[in-house]
Amino acid sequence: MNRKRALISDAFKVKRFRNETQKFGAVSKGDGPTDIRSTLETLMTLFPRKLFNDSLPQIVMKHQLYSIHNDKTLVDKELNKLREQGELLMFQLGFDADAFGLVFASDYKAKVLAGEDGRATRATVEKFLEKLPSLCTELSFSKDKMLKEFRFTDSEITQLVKSGVLTVRDAGSWWLSIPNSGKFTKYFIQGRKAVLNMVKKSKYSEVLKTELEERRTTSHVKFQMKYHIHDIVGAELVESIPTTSGTLLRFVDS
Amino acid sequence: MLGFLTARQAGVDDPLRLRRAESTRRVLSLKLNPDRDVDRIHGNGINTIDIEAVEGRYMLSGGADGVIVIYDLENYSRKLQYTCKAVCTVGRSSRYVHKFSVETVQWYPYDTGMFVSSSFDKTMKVWDTETLKPAEVFEFEGNVYSHHLSPIARKHSLIAVGTTDPKIQLCDLKSGSRIHVLQGHRAEILSVRWSPRYDHILATASADSKVKVWDVRRASGSLFTLDQHNGDKSKASSEAVNTAHNGRVNGLCFTGDGLYLLTTGTDDRMRLWNSATGENTLVNYGKVCNESRKRLQFTVSRGCSPEFVFVPCGSSVAVYALHTGELVTMLRGHYNNVDCCEFHPDYQELYTGGKDCNILAWVPAPRAPDVEEESKSANQAAADQSSVNPAFQDAWSSDED
Repeated sequence: MNRKRALISDAFKVKRFRNETQKFGAVSKGDGPTDIRSTLETLMTLFPRKLFNDSLPQIVMKHQLYSIHNDKTLVDKELNKLREQGELLMFQLGFDADAFGLVFASDYKAKVLAGEDGRATRATVEKFLEKLPSLCTELSFSKDKMLKEFRFTDSEITQLVKSGVLTVRDAGSWWLSIPNSGKFTKYFIQGRKAVLNMVKKSKYSEVLKTELEERRTTSHVKFQMKYHIHDIVGAELVESIPTTSGTLLRFVDS
Repeated sequence: MLGFLTARQAGVDDPLRLRRAESTRRVLSLKLNPDRDVDRIHGNGINTIDIEAVEGRYMLSGGADGVIVIYDLENYSRKLQYTCKAVCTVGRSSRYVHKFSVETVQWYPYDTGMFVSSSFDKTMKVWDTETLKPAEVFEFEGNVYSHHLSPIARKHSLIAVGTTDPKIQLCDLKSGSRIHVLQGHRAEILSVRWSPRYDHILATASADSKVKVWDVRRASGSLFTLDQHNGDKSKASSEAVNTAHNGRVNGLCFTGDGLYLLTTGTDDRMRLWNSATGENTLVNYGKVCNESRKRLQFTVSRGCSPEFVFVPCGSSVAVYALHTGELVTMLRGHYNNVDCCEFHPDYQELYTGGKDCNILAWVPAPRAPDVEEESKSANQAAADQSSVNPAFQDAWSSDED
C-alpha cells in the first residue's frame, strides 16, 4: 500500500500549519478524544429490537467497536472501566472464544425482569439482579462463589439456569447469559456468513463499503447491514482499505 | 531537528532525547532502497538470520537446504550503491554441512570467531569461523527447532536447545556436557530465549500453548507459567488454564531492556508480558496472522522512543507500536512468505529473509532536502564532475593558479 504522506514521529511536530492534511477515503473517527460510551449507544441503535418482539436487550459485540476506533487497547481499557463502574455487562456468547457481547446493565435488568413476569422463578432472578454491580466484572461463576459469596442454594441455582440467566459451562461453573439469546446467536451467525459470502462472491473478492450497504439483503440477513459490516471489519474477517472512492472491504483468505 | 540540536548544545535536553527522536524518525521511514542489496547465495528459502552484537558488521543466514552464509554489511566502497557481499559459505559441497534445513543460527555473543547452528538433521554444530569446520557437534533425538546462547552471560556458557522432546536441554560450551535438563512442558519446544537483562533467566515456548520462565540456577521447576487471563478463571474454558495462547506458541522475543516479553501463537494473537511478574499487559495488537509450524523469528527495535515490533505476516512484515498495539505500517517487498527478520540497532535497518530465497534490506529513507536549499544543491551538483562524496575530495588548491 503506497502511503501518500510519510509517517512522522511525534517528536518532530511540524510547526507550519498545513492546509493539505486531508485524509482521502473514509473519515475515521479514531482521532480526537474517544468516547466509547457514545459509540456504544450509536451501535445499540443498529440492533433490531422488533425482530425479537422487544424481549431481548440491545446487544453489541466488543469487536464492533474496533472497527470504529483505531486503538484497540484503549477501547479495551475503557470497556473495563465501564464494567467496573457497574454500567456495562459483558457476555461470552459461546460461538467464538473471542466474541463478547456487551449490554447496558440497566437495559439487561429491565428486559430480564419483564421476561420473568408471572413466572415462579421471578423471586430468585430478582435476588440475582440485586447483585448486579458485582456481577458486571465477571463472565462466569463457579460453584463455591455462588454458594459462599452470593449465598445461593442449589435449588436457587437450578432456577436461575432454568430462567436463562445462567448457562452451564462445565461441572460446577456457569456463564452469565442473556435469556432467550439463542435466536440472536443463530441469526447473527447466519447473517455474518451471508454478508461474508456477498463480499467473497464479488469481483476480486472486494466491494466498496457504501455499495455493500446499499445492496439488497437476502432473507438470511435479518439484522441491519451496518451491524454486520461493523462486525466483520472489527473481527478482521475483511480488510478495510481506504481508497479515493471510499472504504473498500476485501475478503481475507485465511 | 535544529531545535533538538540547539537544545542539546545548551544543555536543556538530555543527549539521549535527540538520539531517540532521530532513531524513531528513521524507523518510521524504513523502505526498500534500490542502492542496498544483499548477495543472493541461497538456492532455497532462508530460515534464520543473525547479526553479530560486537560490531554489527557480519550477518549469518541459515537456509532450508542446510547452507550457511556469512555476509559483510559494511559499505567501505565509496559508492552509494552497495551489495552486501557473502564473505564465506558453508555450502552443499562442504564435508560438514548440515544434512537438512538449518533452523537457527547464532553468532557467539562476544566475537565472530565462532557461531552455532542447529538443524532438522537432529544436530547442533559449533563452528569455527576461520576454518568453517565444526569444533563440536551435539546430537539429539528429535528435530532441533531452536537454540539460544545468552547474550550477556559471563559466568556460564550454556546453550538452551528446544527440540521435539518436551525437555529443554542445556548444553555447556566449556565442558561439552548436556546433563542439565529443564522439565515441565508437555509437547515439543518451539522457541527458547535467554533474557537480555539477567543471565540466569530463560523463557521457553511450547506447542502445548504454554510459556514457562525458568531460573537455571534452581533445581526445582519453572519460576512461573504465563497465563493469558492473569489468573481470571472466568474468561476461558477450564482447559485453557495457565496457557499463554489458545494454540501453539511459536515465537518469543524479549524487548531490548529485558523488561517485557512478546509471544506469538497460532491463535493469530501476539501478547506482551511483564517479564518480572508474568502478567499479561493486555495490549491488543489485533489479528497477527501466524501459520508457522516452526519457530517464528520476529524482532523488536532498540533505541527508539515508542519501540516497534516487526512481525513477519505472510509475505509482508507488520510493524506495530509496542505499547499501544496499533499497526504502524506493513512492509511489502517479498515474493513469498517471510520467515525471519532482524533489526540492526546502530543503523536502524531491518533485514528480512523468506521463502523466495531473498534477504531484503529495509533502509531508512534519506532526508528530503529543504526547499530553500534546493537551488544551492542543484548548482553544486552541476559543478561536481564526479559523483564522489565531497568528504573524500581533495580540498587542496594546486600550486599553479
